[in-house]
Amino acid sequence: MGNVAGIRDLRDKIENINALPTIPSVLKRLLEVIESPRVSLNEISNFISNDPALTTKILKMVNSPVYGFPGRISSVNQAVILLGLNVVKGLLLGVSVFELMQKTMIGLWEHSLGCAIIARLIAEKKGLKEPEEASVDGLLHDIGKVLLILRFPDKYEKAMCDTDANGISIYEAERVHYGTTHASVGSWMAQKWRFPQKLVDVIEHHHKPHLSKSAPVESAIVHLSDILVRARGFGFAGDHALMAVSPKSWQMLGLSEADLRDVLWAFEESLEMTEDLAL
Amino acid sequence: MPKITPDKLRPGMKLLRPVTNKGGMVLLGEGTELTAALIEKIRDMGADSIFIQGTSPPSTPKEEALSGLDRRFKSVEEKPYMDVIKKALREHIKDLYG
Repeated sequence: MGNVAGIRDLRDKIENINALPTIPSVLKRLLEVIESPRVSLNEISNFISNDPALTTKILKMVNSPVYGFPGRISSVNQAVILLGLNVVKGLLLGVSVFELMQKTMIGLWEHSLGCAIIARLIAEKKGLKEPEEASVDGLLHDIGKVLLILRFPDKYEKAMCDTDANGISIYEAERVHYGTTHASVGSWMAQKWRFPQKLVDVIEHHHKPHLSKSAPVESAIVHLSDILVRARGFGFAGDHALMAVSPKSWQMLGLSEADLRDVLWAFEESLEMTEDLAL
Repeated sequence: MPKITPDKLRPGMKLLRPVTNKGGMVLLGEGTELTAALIEKIRDMGADSIFIQGTSPPSTPKEEALSGLDRRFKSVEEKPYMDVIKKALREHIKDLYG
């Protein structure tokens, strides 16, 4: 693959992932809700409230240190109002989709959760106005991996085997096997699911944040969070290869060693409180 | 974790490391048992974190955690700024063990 027609065909297959018989019906309904062009806060909140298991998961997440409201949110309605439509949409997708992954890529949920926490902490340190949005960026940055695994499980397993055998990253192995990467695949779907352009951009550029046009700071934050979570040895994201930080993005964030240690420490404290967030 | 923020201090806890002022002068020695009054003083000092005895360090041995870090950085440590990131992680992992 790798030619234009091949990529278009792949994109079609990914975009119609909802038609796969292996997708649970709850998730199918959820994807339909997320995708609908004029979905309202009410619809999202009703969808969650009608499913007790989902409600519990969402409330656990919004009250965890992943977001900035520890223990203060008691209802789905309140969560939706405090966090906003896009953050709740992202959260809903995150907790529902990663559940399907537990067998194929053990540790991707932990990796994503770790990135969500660190991204929020860096965003707070940098004084960003909406640090919760950074957590959603972190939570969903690797969603493309989930999509590739769901659609082409055998091929993805081969790509994962290649990483250790050939000493390459999963990003490079995906390029060999699919002609594209989880970053692009994730951004296609984020677009289809009508997430904000900034989130689409972060997903597309989290390996090359200096190329991001609409969200350079957010992309840099998720890029660095990805590196820190892996460097800390937390979770698993498909390979054992640490990527080098983009010098431009690093300079843009302007964090010192002491800043990193602050962030890492706050991360450990958050982790202690997130133990029961296992899916 | 042995290191906690001042708001989590409780009377009866014992210091794993001395509490020092900004100049490095020891204010409370290692092993000091904290009282409500001492905790209040520590909080007033604006200290970031305090090392406390008896809290459990991570289950992986420290040496193993540090060699894992070296292994992960092996192919990228020559790249720009990765030395700063690695140093922060190394110090951070050491802190986890008190």
